[in-house]
Amino acid sequence: MNSEARASSARWLICVLVALTSVMATHAADQEPTWRSIENMSAEDRSLYDPSRSTPRDGSIPYIPAEPYPFEAPYTSEEMGYRSAEFAHVSRWSATLIDVFGVVTSSGYINQGASILLAATPGRQGLAGYIHDTTPGEVYTRWTFYDTFPPESEGAQQLWTPFRTDKDFRTKMDYFIYSPQLRRVRRQPEPRRDQRFPDNSQTFDDVIGRDPWELEWQLLGTDVLFETLRFPITRPTITLNVPGQGFVERQTANLKPMGDNFEHYGPDGGIKCWVIKATMKPNWLPGYKERNLVLWLEQTTFYPLRIEKYGHDGRLMLIEERMGKKENPTLGDFGYAAFGSVYWNLDHDLVSYSFHDAHNIRNWTEEQADMLFTAEFMRRQWLFEPIKSQTRIDSPDKFFLRSHLYSDKFPSDRNVALPAEIDARYRAQETAGHLIFETGGDAAPQ
Amino acid sequence: MKAATTTSKVGLVLLLSALIVAHSAFAGTVGNMFSKFDRTMATFDPIGKHIRQPIERAIPRLQFRGFFRQWTDVLVDRHGDTGFRNQDFRFLQLQNLFELETNYHITEGLDVKGVAHMLYDGAYDWQDSDGLFADDFDRTAEIYHTGERVLRELYVSYRRPRFDLKVGKQQVAWGKMDGQFIDIVSGMDRRESVQLETEDYEWRRLPTWMANTTFHFGRTSVQLLYIFDFEEDRQALPDSPWASPLAPTTTTDILLPARRPRTGHFSDHEYGIRVDRSAGALTYGFIYMYAWDKNPVDHILDTPLVGGERVLRIEPRHERLHHAGITADYATTFQNIPVVGSLPTVFRVEALYTNGVRFADSKKRAAARAGSTTNGTSKRDTLRAAFASEFGLPGRTTVIFQASWYQTLDHKESLGAGFGGGFGDEWSFIPVAFFSRPFAFTRDRLSVEFTAFPLINGPDTGWGGLKTKLRLSYKFSQFIKGNVSYNGYDTGDSNDVYGQYNKWDNFGAELSYEF
Repeated sequence: MNSEARASSARWLICVLVALTSVMATHAADQEPTWRSIENMSAEDRSLYDPSRSTPRDGSIPYIPAEPYPFEAPYTSEEMGYRSAEFAHVSRWSATLIDVFGVVTSSGYINQGASILLAATPGRQGLAGYIHDTTPGEVYTRWTFYDTFPPESEGAQQLWTPFRTDKDFRTKMDYFIYSPQLRRVRRQPEPRRDQRFPDNSQTFDDVIGRDPWELEWQLLGTDVLFETLRFPITRPTITLNVPGQGFVERQTANLKPMGDNFEHYGPDGGIKCWVIKATMKPNWLPGYKERNLVLWLEQTTFYPLRIEKYGHDGRLMLIEERMGKKENPTLGDFGYAAFGSVYWNLDHDLVSYSFHDAHNIRNWTEEQADMLFTAEFMRRQWLFEPIKSQTRIDSPDKFFLRSHLYSDKFPSDRNVALPAEIDARYRAQETAGHLIFETGGDAAPQ
Repeated sequence: MKAATTTSKVGLVLLLSALIVAHSAFAGTVGNMFSKFDRTMATFDPIGKHIRQPIERAIPRLQFRGFFRQWTDVLVDRHGDTGFRNQDFRFLQLQNLFELETNYHITEGLDVKGVAHMLYDGAYDWQDSDGLFADDFDRTAEIYHTGERVLRELYVSYRRPRFDLKVGKQQVAWGKMDGQFIDIVSGMDRRESVQLETEDYEWRRLPTWMANTTFHFGRTSVQLLYIFDFEEDRQALPDSPWASPLAPTTTTDILLPARRPRTGHFSDHEYGIRVDRSAGALTYGFIYMYAWDKNPVDHILDTPLVGGERVLRIEPRHERLHHAGITADYATTFQNIPVVGSLPTVFRVEALYTNGVRFADSKKRAAARAGSTTNGTSKRDTLRAAFASEFGLPGRTTVIFQASWYQTLDHKESLGAGFGGGFGDEWSFIPVAFFSRPFAFTRDRLSVEFTAFPLINGPDTGWGGLKTKLRLSYKFSQFIKGNVSYNGYDTGDSNDVYGQYNKWDNFGAELSYEF
């Protein structure tokens, strides 16, 4: 092809691209936004919402609503917040699972771990048991973790015993570790609630959950989400450990945000959500680093599919996106648990994930409960229930994508402006379909 | 003049601009290099991929893991003749440690575990020194060449919900504190002398053959030890890098081999019991052990005349000891603390009382040399204890204060060193301060630690010197990490515990790969 022909072809290509872009832009403009403020909510949604900001309080626990949990429609913003608190990162029932987690930095440094979790929640399970059946200062659940990856951490163990807390009793948990290198069980200071774990995006409160009475709740409106955490195009399949079935390979494109059996997907696969703002109460959380959260709650279960954290200066600090799954069907809408979660820390462009593989509900015998959930048990170096997982990521380019920004949604309550460098990587990622690292915008998989 | 000034300014601006552009380009290039390096390192696990995983796939009941670790410590300067030492060397250690660990799961509750390791220290071969030749009379200083050192652990474990039994060669660590207070069960290779740290105990402890059983009753556990083997402490050998400059290398006295407890003698075996209990925010425990002093004390057998001079015929002996100890910890979170807000805190306490510690007695030794009949030792009881406070501060910062106390009861000035007692004095006090935090700008891959160990003795010797340690650690990947450190010994007199090593300030570097 001569130079004139090449130039002619290039001109045609540019024209086609411009035309296509115009058509797409016009189509996008025609599309109705998925989000609606309270004023623009549908009549059906309005009928489910009670705008009351001040409701009667409980006689014995003055900081919770008088209406018995789990409440009935129409729901106030506060009641929606309480319902969402049902779904902390670790489910509120006795179970075993393997938590596979990891982080990737903007340079592509990757650090992963795997830890087998044994959880024992005696008595009534769920948030109701936490609120009503335990008194402040009382242990409400016990978790032991046994690390199986990386090699440096193999055999390291932790015991968490979270307490029911209120304004007078604020210690969140007793915390013990067993270090194979020291061969010692040591009691540790509890992690600071608003501080991210080393080498991770998650804070302690992201794991253990915040008490709903520590926050001021305000409905912003509704939205429809089509996807939450996103696999890259470089990871078309994932192998899951399904109890009773063993290792099962799944197409990542077919994994749905609320699991396969969720009944309320729209015809287009969308999930209707309440969008709610939660502001930290300074008298409950003095000196807390985070000012407020914005949560997308699935409308029927109030399961939080997306949580944004904002600092006191209004900056977006972190986006958490979840993939839920009904792991405890006997609890109905309350039986959902976090199957996969991705956390994007925007201050450091740090993306971390946590996958709860091989989730299995357990009824511990008295003997097992007495044995497994004590600090001294860790000294026995006993991997009581070996659980394997193949969900770990092989290489940095197969890591989960940075979360959607949705910069057009609820602009008066959300500031999603990014530093230029991170914004460039985010945009390049959206084009490439996989994470882009600090390589000058190279969009090719590394 | 004005034109010249303007030209200079323009030149300066152009130069600065060029530097900024060059710097940006360089920073970008370096950033790209680091990014590519990080992504390459992320999956660099050759032994894990090509050896561990295939073995574990082939033998599902077998767990297989290990590590390679390289430590290098180099003196800031060499000082030639120092006390009784010729410090003509720079490298204190060039140690390479390779360890393999296997665990075979036979059936539910029944496992066999084996750990083997190999150490080679190039400090003797890879530098030219007349002052280092400990490897000539004990090759273990340079390389682990005996089955005893290579086979680190080998035991069968049997576990039931309320009962554990482990029989075989193993190491046992008691206590919760940094340092050794009730951690008295296993001997220790102390070749690094004062530079031995708590984090090194795992590799330096000397496992022994024993039966180790624990009964579990809810929140209470009772551990019983029956130890039929004996491993004494290995101190820094004469003419090794950390041999004390205070120790004379020659003597006219007759030194016999140490008399040590024998495995075949039932009466020489050791016994221990440990009881632990947790009660809410408080956990506590008690220990008792009928054991041997892991360091022999010189006993004078007689004082023959050799060449007309009276010399001492000395036999080092291990002494039977009764140890009784306590350990406890308590957690709380203080609220509304200025600047930091809430302050998660843990308090730990540990104490060990030891009955019947044998001390070398310089006064009796002098009397023996003058013709009196005495074995040159005195018996005393000792108490060592520590109280620690650990604080979780903002920024993932940890601060620990630990006050450690060592007391010889009924002390007299002529006593030498003895288990658990003051260091050459009635009491010794070490108020340790520790600080650590990761750096967020490195995404927590880089962290710094600083520890200060000031030593105060009383009532006679007073200030005993200061040991400081500054360490920077970096995670290259989830399999490889490294650190560099500086260890300083300052301000003590040349005959103090830390002061004797005033000329041993050193830099260290460590690289480890775990698979």
